[in-house]
Amino acid sequence: MLISLNWLKGGLRTDGISDEDLVKLIGARLVEVEGVIDQTHKYDNIYAVKVMYCEAIEGTHLHLCKIDDGGKAEKVERDENGYVQVMCGAPNVHEGMFAAWIAPGAIVPQTYNTDEPFEIGMRKMLKKYNSFGMMAGADELDFGDDHSGIVELNPATAKPGRLISEMFGNLNDKILDIENKSLTHRPDTFGILGFRREVAGILGQKHTSEDWYIDPEQKFDNDENIKLDITIDEALCPRYTAIVFESIAENKNDYLNFDATLLSRSGMRPVNPIVDATNIMMLATGQPLHAFDYDKFVAVGGSKTPKIIVRAAKKGEKLELLDGTIAKLNPDDIVITSNNIPVALAGAMGGASTAIDENTKRVILESATFSLYNLRKTQMAHGIFSEAITRFTKGQPAGQTKAVALRFVEAARKYLKPLALFDTQKEKQKPIEVNLTLTQLNALLGTDFTADSVKRILENVEFIVSLDGENIHVVVPFWRTDIHIAEDIIEEVGRLSGFDNIPPVLPLHATADPNELFALKSNIRDHLAARGANEVLTYSFVHGDLMQKVGQKPENSYKIINSISPELQHIRQSVVPSLLDKSYANLRAGHDKFALFEMNQVYPRDLGFDNDTVPRSRHELGFVFVSQKEQSNYYIAKKYLESLLDSLNISHILVEFKASSTNSYYEPKRSAMIMCGDVILGYIGEIRHDVLRGFKLPNGTAAFELELTKLLDQEQGVNSKDFRTSDYPAVLRDITLTVDDKVKYSDVESKLRSILSSFIYKLVPTSIYQAEGSKTKNLSFHIEFASPDKTLTKDEISAIMKKLESVK
Amino acid sequence: MATIQELKNELKKLNAEYAKIKDLPADQRADFGKQLNIKKQQLNAEIAAAEAAAEQEDVQPLDISAPCDINGQMPEFLTADFGSKHPLMTELDRVIAIYQSMGFDIAESVQLDDEYHMFDSLNFAKGHPARDGYDTFRTEEGFIPPAHTSTMQNRVLKANAYKLAEGKAIAVAVPGRVYRNEDVDATHEHTFYQCEGVYVSKDCTLGNMLGILREFFEKYYGQKLNIKTQPGYFPFTEPSLEFLIEKPASLGGKGDGWLEMLGCGMIHPNVLKAAGIDPTKYQGFAWGGGIDRLVMLRYGLTDVRNFEAAKLDFLKEFAC
Repeated sequence: MLISLNWLKGGLRTDGISDEDLVKLIGARLVEVEGVIDQTHKYDNIYAVKVMYCEAIEGTHLHLCKIDDGGKAEKVERDENGYVQVMCGAPNVHEGMFAAWIAPGAIVPQTYNTDEPFEIGMRKMLKKYNSFGMMAGADELDFGDDHSGIVELNPATAKPGRLISEMFGNLNDKILDIENKSLTHRPDTFGILGFRREVAGILGQKHTSEDWYIDPEQKFDNDENIKLDITIDEALCPRYTAIVFESIAENKNDYLNFDATLLSRSGMRPVNPIVDATNIMMLATGQPLHAFDYDKFVAVGGSKTPKIIVRAAKKGEKLELLDGTIAKLNPDDIVITSNNIPVALAGAMGGASTAIDENTKRVILESATFSLYNLRKTQMAHGIFSEAITRFTKGQPAGQTKAVALRFVEAARKYLKPLALFDTQKEKQKPIEVNLTLTQLNALLGTDFTADSVKRILENVEFIVSLDGENIHVVVPFWRTDIHIAEDIIEEVGRLSGFDNIPPVLPLHATADPNELFALKSNIRDHLAARGANEVLTYSFVHGDLMQKVGQKPENSYKIINSISPELQHIRQSVVPSLLDKSYANLRAGHDKFALFEMNQVYPRDLGFDNDTVPRSRHELGFVFVSQKEQSNYYIAKKYLESLLDSLNISHILVEFKASSTNSYYEPKRSAMIMCGDVILGYIGEIRHDVLRGFKLPNGTAAFELELTKLLDQEQGVNSKDFRTSDYPAVLRDITLTVDDKVKYSDVESKLRSILSSFIYKLVPTSIYQAEGSKTKNLSFHIEFASPDKTLTKDEISAIMKKLESVK
Repeated sequence: MATIQELKNELKKLNAEYAKIKDLPADQRADFGKQLNIKKQQLNAEIAAAEAAAEQEDVQPLDISAPCDINGQMPEFLTADFGSKHPLMTELDRVIAIYQSMGFDIAESVQLDDEYHMFDSLNFAKGHPARDGYDTFRTEEGFIPPAHTSTMQNRVLKANAYKLAEGKAIAVAVPGRVYRNEDVDATHEHTFYQCEGVYVSKDCTLGNMLGILREFFEKYYGQKLNIKTQPGYFPFTEPSLEFLIEKPASLGGKGDGWLEMLGCGMIHPNVLKAAGIDPTKYQGFAWGGGIDRLVMLRYGLTDVRNFEAAKLDFLKEFAC
């Protein structure tokens, strides 16, 4: 939303406050000001001039003009009368008219706030005519898009040499760019009047709205001959006010007018006097208005007199809108109908069939409010983001429709004569009242306001406040649709007086419970990263194809219905596929050997729901080891897994792999299940060849995954590792055992360990060798052992060695 | 089961059938072609399955319990210098540690939630346009990958309500991954991290909230900081504020610029009520802010897309 600072400041006492400070205060106490567009010098050196002489130059579209600028401009040549010569190509230039002249040295306003401001100078035209400055069209002055000719100024107010900026109030303005989002609940601030009221409150000034707004219940003498019926569904349209007018002047501006300059500074474009007046009213009050052609309205409905029926659209109904598009309606849309035939998409856009034009004789003006919930859906369904619907979706109060309509009567008096007013609201709504106590207010904010200061702060923005000792009674003005409870009032007091004036005070704090899951993740992160692995994060959303690639069933995943792309359509079932998916790009980038890991939540559907009936997640660690060279990486992955579990002091064994609903990517013959007691902690293995092919990864790529919450359950408080050292000499030996090639390595190792169990010992495997075609394999170990309480004798040592060497 | 060769022969025959199409009456061609295509698809799938099975046959089992391959090298870890922790996670750990030191328990946010936790329990009116501002994703069942960590407020309040009865405060920080349906560019990600704070007691004030937030950022940046606020709007807090800090010296601040760090406010009575806490007896405040931005500021990063890209070239910049 763009707000003219000059318009805003009208009626406020801002002497002694710089614009900069004012903007800061607005930012701190009302809404974020995203930017300030400085137009203070935009209309410098642009004058009203009288065309004293105008001669068409044959064979061209140009006119040679002499203008009277009151002698104001510098850098020009003047003739004996003091007039300046300007060439002009506009078809409407004529002798005696007043025009807006951009003097040499001035910037064309259209280009003023752009990257390339264009400065006007002297040009030589048709090789012989000097042309100083230019007479400007509306578009060049940045007052709309009209490029059909130069603007004509009203001779009643234009004097040669008068600055344009003075002629139209004060065009030396600053425009505030307001971030709408944080005003979602404040329909009143979408009009200058409401915004100004807030700024008054922020400045500590008492704001008083004018009577026409607060108390519009003036008598309106309806022309008895004018009949109009309004039928509304109050859930969709809480209030509908309509005024019938008769057109009394052509709907056309002869001269550039103030409204056009104001609309332009508010980010809108002038159209014609009636439409401009509705838009100005909307900018001032936040209440959008719409004008229908009365006669077209009646003709469409086929009724004698207008029958306005506001209802939900029917499925499949169609409506041609003002911009020529055909809207396919749905039951969330609200339509204005003429005797049940849709003529406007309520709140969003008028229909083509009842648009006012140059032949319009009578007008029906609509001032109504609609359900913001429905309009929000309309906005989304039809992609209409007009200034009007932006305001309607904030929930404009029903209390102001009549006041604004009547104000429009004044604004359009030159063009429209009011005949009759109709309003669906017969009785004034009862205002909302809120009670609170001073203690409650100060206790929530941490402040020491007095009751009187609270009263003053609230009354500045037109709450009606009565005090009874501690008790504060507040009557809420109708435009504050957001205020319902005591906390709402407390916010107003804190905000208007400045939250930044509240002293920050640290409360006493207790001790916190450690979070085991985060501590675990932190340990894992440290452990794996210290061993050369890289922690990554990947999206929770994956492509259906990715799941099929790894053999997971897409129906076991939750599907996003409004995903950004098919690649992000499913919620993943496990982490490892995402890591595989990210590996190829890293290989290509020249990393020929790497380990990736991620800890995150996954949501396979078959985990079911928790007590809240929300899908249950699994906290998972996924790890992959990839090498450019095709090699078996199972044992590397296993080394990472075992060192990790050892560091966490979790005893585990690897057992035969079993398929689960999500682990289909492991090659069962080269994979294992990781168990602790009878709990499955996870899986480790090489990835199936067909899966790897899909990811363009080398065979042998290995992975493991662990369920983090299960690790937490298994973590043992006391480390079972043997930290003892012996004071007696240790025996160092290397041994090689020849065993049948079917024998499992772990069987051999555990036999060795049980032999060594009474000693303080170290057992390190050093190689596994099998000759080609042999039925046996050689397992080599480096062994160190010492007795905890004596020096071992030669005999004792050889007895132990004998035992060790006989293991099969 | 047919062998691969048999299946391939069958496919050859089938392909030959296509030649017959041109001899058929025009009205039968389409149907015939369609039938052939279906059969061909089936056959191709069978061949692929058979080939995969055959390939699997060839795979040699390994000794899952061994330390290395037969005749293979003993495996070794990668060089430690290669390793890295994800900068977002490092930052999250840092944030958590500070909150813990300030007496906040930690609870991780969920990554798939329902309308009740995401909106209803947070005082969003049904169908209110404020819900649109969150650009939520939805699953077929209507579940929502949460768009803010506030989705945990109701749970956290319920789970800790007993502390109030014991005369203690509820103080919990909730980090988590959140999602918004927006197009990704250098400064926007649909997936990012937030950390929520929730504090409830008998008598805590907005002044306390400002105190806690200032304390947090002073610890985080290791210096005294000026703070300021802007009015905000969140249905679940009343009053609602945006919280800003002075740009810290470590980020090149010279006491002039401001950084918008988070949204905050006093918890709306309806939110307390929804969690079974009597708003006439207790009051509280809550806040939530992004983690990604903290990391980008700390390291001067300009492209948020790197966080979820799993590119080693980027991650190794953060090697331990």
